[in-house]
Amino acid sequence: MASALRSTILRHIRVPISHSLSVNGSRLTAVRSMSSHGDDHLDKQEVVDRVLDVVKSFPKVDPSKVTPDVHFQKDLGLDSLDTVEIVMALEEEFKLEIPDKEADKIDSCPLAVEYIYNHPMAS
Amino acid sequence: MASTMKYVRVPPNSASLAEARQRVFEFFKTACRSIPSIMEIYTLDDVTSPSQLRSVISSEIRKNAHITNPKVIDMLLFKGTEELCNIVEHSKQRHHILGQYVLNREDRTHDIGNKDQGASDFLKSFYKSNY
Repeated sequence: MASALRSTILRHIRVPISHSLSVNGSRLTAVRSMSSHGDDHLDKQEVVDRVLDVVKSFPKVDPSKVTPDVHFQKDLGLDSLDTVEIVMALEEEFKLEIPDKEADKIDSCPLAVEYIYNHPMAS
Repeated sequence: MASTMKYVRVPPNSASLAEARQRVFEFFKTACRSIPSIMEIYTLDDVTSPSQLRSVISSEIRKNAHITNPKVIDMLLFKGTEELCNIVEHSKQRHHILGQYVLNREDRTHDIGNKDQGASDFLKSFYKSNY
């Protein structure tokens, strides 16, 4: 008897299922609002600023000549050892380890920014 | 601990100048990558910075930049690697590092072989004669 009473009462106070999740027309899959996985990637402007800072603080470089598309050997007058040294300074700044093949290709600021921006482990 | 640093030791017989050049860059990169542990071993944090140590290493390499014989370059690389291993294994002490690589870099002139390289003009003329 109590169970019948219970079911009649429940029938009256049944709460409708909310459809608020299907606002977009499709169900939103798990939204991890607390995880910071999405902002692991560095902002491009921030990468450019930090790379320029590293190049400007190099003792042999004239800071006024440094622009985001400067070539280390052609525009700044550095030699190959200086280029390697700048790449090592960038490795230290962004906590990366760049393999030799890739490091040989980094000859100028835009290439460096490109490589670091596309590197998943840069921080 | 530190003997794992250069576990790949290619025998020193560079075929050409280009290969020797590549070896020099690899040595330089290895040295730069061990700078953080060197600074920690000898507590150099208040005396110098990693970028200054990098400049010191590159200037030491540059002192021999004019050499063209690959065998001589191999020999110099061997000596450099030996020095780097000694430093990383803590076989040296703090005053060695400070004296050789950190302090008084601007007093050193480029002509080696002259005994009074860091001497001032007064001393140079003093040594020449009294009158």
